[in-house]
Amino acid sequence: MENSNSNQNQIFPDDLPPLLKKIKTKPVSGFDMMMGSAKEKDGSIGNNLNIPLDFRGSKINNNNNNNNGTCHSISMSMPSSPSGLYYDRTRRFALSNNQVFSNGKSNLSNVSCAGDAAIASGGTTTSCHMFHSQPMRVGNDAAEINNVHDYQHQQISSSSRFGETGGTPKDKRFDPFKTFSGRLERQLSNLRGRPQQEPVPADADVGDGEIEILPVDRYFDALEGPELDTLKASEVSVLPEDQTWPFLLRFPISSFGICLGVGSQAILWKKLATSSSMSFLDVSLNVNLVLWYIAVALFSIVLSIYALKVVFYFEAVRREYYHPVRVNFFFAPWITCLFLALGLPPSIAVNLHPVSWYVLMSPILCLELKIYGQWMSGGQRRLSKVANPSNHLSIVGNFVGALLGASMGLKEGPIFFFAIGLAHYTVLFVTLYQRLPTNESLPKELHPVFFLFVAAPSVACTAWAQIHGDFDYGSRIPFFIALFLYFSLAVRINFFRGFKFSLAWWAYTFPMTGASIATIRYSMEVTNCVTQSLSIALSVISTLTVTALLATTIIHAFVLNDLFPNDISIAITETKQKMGKKRSSLKSSSSDDLDLHAAITVNILGHHLRV
Amino acid sequence: MDEQPSKLSVLTGFHAGYFRITMSLSSQALLWKTLMAYSSSASSISYIPTSIRDIAHHLHSTLFLLFWSISLAVLTSLSLLYLLRCVLRFESVKKEFTHHVGANYLFAPSISWLLLLESSPLDLLEISKLLYVALWLVFSLPAVGLEVKIYGQWFTKGKRFLASVANPTSQISVIANMVVARGAAEMDCKELALWVFSFGFAHYVVLFVTLYQRFNDGKMVPAELSPVFFLFFATPSFASLAWSSLSVDGDGGGNVMGSKMLFFLSLFLFGCLIARPALFKQSMEKFDVAWWAYSFPLSALAMGSVQYARDVRDPFADNLMLVLLVVSVGVTFVLMIYTVLNAGKIIPHGGTDNDVDGDGDVDVYVVQ
Repeated sequence: MENSNSNQNQIFPDDLPPLLKKIKTKPVSGFDMMMGSAKEKDGSIGNNLNIPLDFRGSKINNNNNNNNGTCHSISMSMPSSPSGLYYDRTRRFALSNNQVFSNGKSNLSNVSCAGDAAIASGGTTTSCHMFHSQPMRVGNDAAEINNVHDYQHQQISSSSRFGETGGTPKDKRFDPFKTFSGRLERQLSNLRGRPQQEPVPADADVGDGEIEILPVDRYFDALEGPELDTLKASEVSVLPEDQTWPFLLRFPISSFGICLGVGSQAILWKKLATSSSMSFLDVSLNVNLVLWYIAVALFSIVLSIYALKVVFYFEAVRREYYHPVRVNFFFAPWITCLFLALGLPPSIAVNLHPVSWYVLMSPILCLELKIYGQWMSGGQRRLSKVANPSNHLSIVGNFVGALLGASMGLKEGPIFFFAIGLAHYTVLFVTLYQRLPTNESLPKELHPVFFLFVAAPSVACTAWAQIHGDFDYGSRIPFFIALFLYFSLAVRINFFRGFKFSLAWWAYTFPMTGASIATIRYSMEVTNCVTQSLSIALSVISTLTVTALLATTIIHAFVLNDLFPNDISIAITETKQKMGKKRSSLKSSSSDDLDLHAAITVNILGHHLRV
Repeated sequence: MDEQPSKLSVLTGFHAGYFRITMSLSSQALLWKTLMAYSSSASSISYIPTSIRDIAHHLHSTLFLLFWSISLAVLTSLSLLYLLRCVLRFESVKKEFTHHVGANYLFAPSISWLLLLESSPLDLLEISKLLYVALWLVFSLPAVGLEVKIYGQWFTKGKRFLASVANPTSQISVIANMVVARGAAEMDCKELALWVFSFGFAHYVVLFVTLYQRFNDGKMVPAELSPVFFLFFATPSFASLAWSSLSVDGDGGGNVMGSKMLFFLSLFLFGCLIARPALFKQSMEKFDVAWWAYSFPLSALAMGSVQYARDVRDPFADNLMLVLLVVSVGVTFVLMIYTVLNAGKIIPHGGTDNDVDGDGDVDVYVVQ
């Protein structure tokens, strides 16, 4: 047939072969035509049906000239992106319905592929070259066909964009991580006035139920490393690894570690300026002021970015919550608020209202009830299994809160949190020291995360000193424990080399600063050369560490551009995957291997074909 | 002859877990007594006018007497029954002793008697110190002896060391320790009390850490027994009570701090548990003696709050005390009524070796 000659041509809207322009399709009686309904809905639909062909033999007929009733047939090429698999499905589906279709009336509202039909049947039973899909009823069917058209239009345009620009398409692959699987984003862009071109495909294979609660075993199986952030070689990631993900998706909660580090520095410089035993240094309070403002600015920035992530990528946030190491960083924002309150420069305010303490501690209390309750009674998240040094972050909040409350003059509340912190710290300390064989997450080699061991005793000793009024035995004992742990880690400094930098390292600087603050407090009690020089030495070390870390962060951010790498640890699959199963369709397939596509298509059809 | 088998079968089924009832009743009695002492001595709860308080006081003491008598009756009958079981069904008692849950409930009779003794309305200590001491010794010595055996097993015995047998009911041994210590402190034997308290507390720390780690999760306590999780906050409450009676004439500072901190810990653990109702769902399906395990820790917590309110004269503490009191009394009464109405379900019948209760499920106190 003549049309087969045009198979090899690329046809564009303005460039119809003259032959086709002349030939009109003869309407066949008994067929219902789309009586201009498509035209009303979307006048541009005719244009959009002109798609680049591939050699598969799809054809295009564009009969805008036909005023009796626009008989369209839409034939699709198969672009080389996974999104094309969607309407390949609809195409095949329509193909299977062609047989029914050709016998008479049909109320199918799917689009058939004329090309395939021509190839398959070798000759049509109608005089119409193309098969049409005609809705019998207006309304749902028409809307659906419109939807299908729109959808295909979107796919086509996205694929053509892909083909033309070579950039990242509007990737539906990140939808599982978006809030409500992307619907929220669509609604928001609706609100902003952009007309919604892209309805949810009727049977998208990424629904709400897809991303469920991952059991903690899954995290341990799939990830390795001291922070559980590297994917094991045998695992695949749900999201494409070779592309840069959206920024929000790459922004981990451990970024709050920066605020912890800087906030604790602000407290340190305040103590250096105001302590009586350090007065010989003559440190100005301006350092504290500047640092405090920087800390506030950093905190607001990080908080707003993460709030955006919560709004737009809630599923990713959930996955971070179920990660055994990252869950502890959910305490970090609140601890930062406590640090900011503790490091408040005297020039701004001297006394905070006690209500603010209750307000600051209530999120910590709620988080603790949940997480400690899990330790006590949760089946798969019990402590013997998930204990890792980052759990110290959950405990430190208690002591920092007690310190703040006692400095504000409260009595019972600080004791409450101190008691809880002490009891759970004992449990955690013993568990980590034991290194139980069931504990899979403790790194075999030393890693900066071990500095968190120093955090709890140093803050506990300062808190107890504040509650009790003086630095008695109850404070000195934890202080000496903290010093001992600090020295035993510091002499092993060589073993800390060779680790990949990550933003979480900032969180490990605040124990050093905490130890320095505790030493300053101790030197106020026992004032002699040794204690004073020790406090100076520790303060210098912690400041230098923070500066070095700042430099490294800036280098990574601006020079190396990998401050926020793809956050693999949230993109692990639910079950161990083999290639070729349905989830492999979510991997970026940049190959043009259509056989592979065919195989995958058949797979997908098997899963998703719905009548 | 017909009665003989049924009576004996009752004995077969009657395990020490039934003493949960008596533990709850005696602790409730002690709570009332402490409350009476507190409200008559203190001028707190000032928003209740004096006349009403007087009436309430009288009502309170009559009710208390009634309640105490009921508890005494129940405890006596159950103890006699258990003594009979020891005599006639010694093998079952031995089996209980070797079971990781059942062994702990062997402390329950001692605890109940000691609590009842402390809460007696007659003020025995004044009347006849000798009698009080004698009774105290009679009830404490079995508990202490059992403890020595069990704690020794924890770290020496081949098969029954702590890591393999630890479960929430192991805290009952620590509770027994604390009750003994408190009794001794009330009798003014401070050194003895301190000795008992210290080795109890040391073992409590070890047990607390072990239980939190949940090394043996899922294998230890079946879902029907999940009310025993409430023991998690009973132990710190009793420790707090013991410590405060130990340090009653010390300087206010550090000693009150210790009992306060323990009370806060138990309050927090209580919060943790009630925030997880799913944990208890399966056990609430069928009425069981295990339900009585809810009431005892709540009474302990309420007693701790009375002590706390006494130390800290704070409106917040008073309100907290009232809330916990209402909860504890309410739960106890509901359980009492429920038990009386459903007595048939929990009376032990004979049954197969594995099904000592005769209630159709495999009984947990019999070693398989």
